[in-house]
Amino acid sequence: MSSAELTIERDGREYRPPRLAHRLRAVARREVSELSTWVLVVAITVAVVLGARTPRFFSVDNGKAILVSAGTIGIAALGVTLIMVCGGLVSLAVGETAAVAGMVFLFSLDAGLLPALVASMAVAAVVTALQGAMVGAWQANPIILTIAVASILTAVGAQLSSQSAVKPASDAYEWLNRTPLGVPMVVLALLGLTVVVQLFMTMTRLGRLMYAVGENRAAARAAGLPIVSTVVVAFAAGGALMAVSGAFSASSSHTITLLGASQLTFNAVAAVLAGGTAIFGGSGSAIRTLVGALLIATVTDLLLLRGADIGMQTLVKGLLVLVVVLVGHRRGSGRRS
Amino acid sequence: MTDQSTQVQAGRVDVPARLELRSVRRSFGAIQAVSDATLSIRAGEIHALCGHNGAGKSTVVKMICGLLEPGGGEILLDGEPVSLHSTHDAQRLGIALVDQELSVIPHLTVAENLMLGSVGEPTFLRRSTIRRRAGELLARVGLTCSPDTLLEHLSIGERQLVEIARALSRGARVLLLDEPTATLSSAEIELVFDAVRATAAEGCAVIFVSHRLGEVIELCDRVTVMRDGRTVAESSTSGMHPNEIVHQMLGALPEKVAKAPLGAAPVMLRLRELAVPGVFQDVSLDISAGRIYALAGQVGSGASEVLRSVAGLYPSSTGAIDLDDRPVPQGRPGAAQRRGIAFASGDRKSEGLFLTKDVRTNLVVTRLPSVSTAGVVRRGRVRRESTDVAQVAGIDPSRLHTPVEQLSGGNQQKVLVGRSLADDRVKVLLLDEPTRGVDVGGRGAIHQTLRAAANDGMAVIFASTELDELIELADTVVTMREGRIVSIYEGSATEAAVLNDITHAEGIT
Repeated sequence: MSSAELTIERDGREYRPPRLAHRLRAVARREVSELSTWVLVVAITVAVVLGARTPRFFSVDNGKAILVSAGTIGIAALGVTLIMVCGGLVSLAVGETAAVAGMVFLFSLDAGLLPALVASMAVAAVVTALQGAMVGAWQANPIILTIAVASILTAVGAQLSSQSAVKPASDAYEWLNRTPLGVPMVVLALLGLTVVVQLFMTMTRLGRLMYAVGENRAAARAAGLPIVSTVVVAFAAGGALMAVSGAFSASSSHTITLLGASQLTFNAVAAVLAGGTAIFGGSGSAIRTLVGALLIATVTDLLLLRGADIGMQTLVKGLLVLVVVLVGHRRGSGRRS
Repeated sequence: MTDQSTQVQAGRVDVPARLELRSVRRSFGAIQAVSDATLSIRAGEIHALCGHNGAGKSTVVKMICGLLEPGGGEILLDGEPVSLHSTHDAQRLGIALVDQELSVIPHLTVAENLMLGSVGEPTFLRRSTIRRRAGELLARVGLTCSPDTLLEHLSIGERQLVEIARALSRGARVLLLDEPTATLSSAEIELVFDAVRATAAEGCAVIFVSHRLGEVIELCDRVTVMRDGRTVAESSTSGMHPNEIVHQMLGALPEKVAKAPLGAAPVMLRLRELAVPGVFQDVSLDISAGRIYALAGQVGSGASEVLRSVAGLYPSSTGAIDLDDRPVPQGRPGAAQRRGIAFASGDRKSEGLFLTKDVRTNLVVTRLPSVSTAGVVRRGRVRRESTDVAQVAGIDPSRLHTPVEQLSGGNQQKVLVGRSLADDRVKVLLLDEPTRGVDVGGRGAIHQTLRAAANDGMAVIFASTELDELIELADTVVTMREGRIVSIYEGSATEAAVLNDITHAEGIT
């Protein structure tokens, strides 16, 4: 966009829209103000205090480990963000979708990295798009629907992995494990995809429609907006992002199982909620989800370093989500009254 | 009224007013919502408070009943300055509020509702005592039902009477009624008015907030008008004409909008035997571009349902809808919208606007394709387009970034209507109750906007239950009753004729 094109007249005076730097600053300010600020402050304080008393927490390697785990959580969480913003509530099949897509990815690697990635994204997108169609057209309850889908995908995944051990068909996936300039590829992917999803939601017609449909479906219907296609696109894009997450975790561990599926589902949904996206739709952003993913990854890492078992980890994250939801609810109801 | 004039004199010889506001102010951040409210209401008086949406009357009401604290000035009750920090303070001093959102509980009986939250009563009361007291209170407001009736079996008007009775039971000295008649039928309105008169006769000071100026003059003794956060006039209502109040509210009389000349414009939209089973039947109409059509009918007559089915919101509709001689698919709002049929719901909050989003977003949401290139929304075009639309729809351009939920009802309605304006693709504009909850000034502005849209070649069809609006705005009035068209008036219709059509004829004397 040239700036000359953007120049318009207002009240007879020439009005020049703010430059990029200003615009970025405005975006940052808006997103930060929407986050549950004090949740963040508390979280960061706790992390610093606990981190200082935890050996190896403040180290480059650990920082990298946090970022890598934020990568797989965050990419899947971006997918959940799209679904949540358009009013699709939540997907409880995030991990299962990622796992099955990861298997498809490993199986089709003999065709090369890019075709394998595309294939896994396509499979996941079709599966979630069908759910989107049911949510969009028949107002199916997304929670029950995605629980059912999670169960079906678990069966499919078990079938796929029992027929032949899920081994990569070639080592083309290693490209995803590279660390250009010392930064793991999954982190770069998370940052890149955050920008892409953010731009998609704020700058495209479909993105704007997602917010509208998510905020007030009855109004969107009365205005004749394309509800079904909007919801289907959001779900399909969400599924594709889950597949990317699955491809990265398959690459880093050279195989993939369904064991970590429910953990990923919980982490991804927790990241979105911790970022302050409204569970009933209409508001939320990729940047907020990025922050949420970093938060969840840090908490997980801290607990691991301090030797907490899986039960403790689950408990702490559960409490975290509980607090975020309660605070978010209070803020939400405060705004309404 | 001699009675009134003696009261006036009594006021002059320093019997303090029941409730007095002296230069009360209140601001929200930088916005001065009320800059000088001076108001005096005597015991036994029914006093109207009128003004535009946004003139500050709801703020004044909230300050009187303790929901908001004043930012300056004095509130006096029987000559004593009082400070109201909460609704509890106000209740303790005998100030009671009855507003549109009723605070009675549907699953309790009338008697139980009346005893709810009463102060200074023993905790346990004998059932017979409760019933006897409730019976007395009901008699005072003229309600004939049994105290044992469940509240959910009462009409909205009767529930309001229960609220008034409850206010009386708490020994209310000041009763505030905020738009009590907005949702009532005319028979219910009479009941409420009788109760209000009875309440005033017992020495209560009544403040009546309403947009309906006819009611104000019928019911109230005096009227105080607010404009731009100030009380600008106080007058006795006897012999007053509604236009005088309008004049005080606006500072100037709104222009009457001119009607379209009766001409043989070609038919644009043709409805043939349109029906929705169980809702309305056999609706056939020819709609021409450049004209405004009104569907007149009471709730349940099918008038607004006809609009909804044309907009594609009834999957079960049958019959034919032809636009420019091509059939419009039924039951598919998206398809209707793409053919150029725009619909503005009568329920703008739950079915019209995206409340947390700003005005600009709401204005462009239906025209995203025309402000995008290859699916990418162009900021410059959004800015230009929304500024243009704001101008056409009479929306203050400085409000473009305000979330719609913060606007007054009138401005919200302008946004909802504006969404379909200045859009080449919109050929037919359907509006359900286009000025519900909108004050006189906003109403005039919306009427002018609709007329301008029709002059630009749009066909405008609206459903309304307000007679004067139908007569004033429409070129053609179609009356409906019990799901059928009664008659079609081209050019001129009289209120009497329309009223006769839409109600049962025997109901009119």
